[in-house]
Amino acid sequence: MLTPVWILDVLAGVMLAVAGVSAARLAGARPWRRGTVVTDTDVGHLLMAIAMAGMLAAGLRTLPGAAWVAIFGVLTCWFGYRVARDARASGVRALAGRHCTPHLVHSGAMVYMFLALPPLAAASAGMAGMGSAGPGLRYPSLAFVFALILAASTVWDLDQLSGRRYQLAPAAVTVGCRIIMSITMAFMLLIMI
Amino acid sequence: MSDLAVRDGRVPWRGRLGTESVPAAEAPDARRALQLGLAGIWLLDALLQYQQVMFTRAFGQMLAATAPGNPGVIARPITWDATLIEHHAVALNAVFATVQLLLGLGIAFRPLTRFALAASVAWSLAVWWLGEGLGGVLNGTANPATGAPGAVILYALLAVLLWPADRAGPAGAVPAGAVPDGTVPDGTAEAAPFTAARAVGARAARWLWLVLWLSLAWFALQPANRAPLALHDLTARLADGEPRWLAGIENGAAAVIGSHGLAVSIALAAACVIVAAGVWLPRPAARATLVLALLVAAAIWVVGEAFGMILAGGATDPNSGPLLVLLALAYWPAKQGQARAERAASC
Repeated sequence: MLTPVWILDVLAGVMLAVAGVSAARLAGARPWRRGTVVTDTDVGHLLMAIAMAGMLAAGLRTLPGAAWVAIFGVLTCWFGYRVARDARASGVRALAGRHCTPHLVHSGAMVYMFLALPPLAAASAGMAGMGSAGPGLRYPSLAFVFALILAASTVWDLDQLSGRRYQLAPAAVTVGCRIIMSITMAFMLLIMI
Repeated sequence: MSDLAVRDGRVPWRGRLGTESVPAAEAPDARRALQLGLAGIWLLDALLQYQQVMFTRAFGQMLAATAPGNPGVIARPITWDATLIEHHAVALNAVFATVQLLLGLGIAFRPLTRFALAASVAWSLAVWWLGEGLGGVLNGTANPATGAPGAVILYALLAVLLWPADRAGPAGAVPAGAVPDGTVPDGTAEAAPFTAARAVGARAARWLWLVLWLSLAWFALQPANRAPLALHDLTARLADGEPRWLAGIENGAAAVIGSHGLAVSIALAAACVIVAAGVWLPRPAARATLVLALLVAAAIWVVGEAFGMILAGGATDPNSGPLLVLLALAYWPAKQGQARAERAASC
């Protein structure tokens, strides 16, 4: 028996909701106007939520795995560049409070998931096919490491979200989406093992 | 804010890609950091509970296996509970996993921390009995190398020690300048000597630590655990289904232990006794014994528990290693003035 499909469907629905919120925030930023700023985190959330919804529910699949690997490879490089720049500017300790570090982990985990998923499961049922694909998972230790980091990131974000830090900041929405993404991603990684 | 190399109107995309500015992070104090560690372990525990095998009858059978050897009054509810879970595996496991998920998230979410910690104590006690058969304490199967006295009871212990309250009154060493009512001249209450003492007081915290580690020493010397090949067989079995590097560690440990199970058990028990006594020693010696506790916990988690067997699939929790590490950190002696400052900040 595999993970109940209704759990995967619920999570796929949650991912679509995150995609919707991210899309709304991107549209709200009016990127077609000159001089506006589009936050990279919203772009990242939108893409990850769509990709994860497709992994959780085969009916929501959009692009082939190779395309997603390329997309998240680019995102990993982008957030890696941002993290390196932040580290140079503010020191490594300051990275804990920045947005880019968790998004770098998210992007890296997405690349890993698409590459580690056995071809059969990747081509057919996505996460729903993972139950029988366990032995074929490549580098399961990496899945565990990513899950640990994502669990740590979730509790840190929840702590900060419930403190004074995000009381008035619109960034709270970003953090809320990130918490949901982290939990879902950690769930996916652990059931892949 | 930063911009991507897309500019001067040469491309249709005229927007800029940047990162939202965020306020600076709030650094948690030592107790809050440990609470977050506990929340993270609960979260990991919950996510493991969502694995495929937990939604099968195998989960109920796993629980039923903890009943034999326990007194009837303990074993009967375990058997009843395991049978119920076998018949309603999907629904009940979904509930269990979700409860644990909410406990982890609740501890991390500040307004719910107290409620979640209290609920986690009740949940842990129930799971310790119905899910772990009291950790094998009463049926002679408890082994510190495999998670005795039951990982879940350590969750409860941590929840009590990390409870967000500060106990007034004499606790441990009296700081310089303290007056008999337990206050120091600056008007704040006496500082706890370590984080675990803040909620229950230093004396109670030390006794809890002593009981835990002496019980680990006692379990290490039980006949089933001190048999010449017991530890060898245990670690060799753990290699099955693990990634090659971890199987190599387990097989290597098994080869080193060989038939010297008795000597290793005595060494483990001696280390546990030293650790147990450590919190009564002066600060430098206490730190040394806590380092020993961290090493023992790491050895237990890696060699004895194979990281809770998470990488082999089908683990219900990360087992006791990370919890023992959190406990050791909770007893780490506070720096002069740090505890008082944290206490003042949390008031």
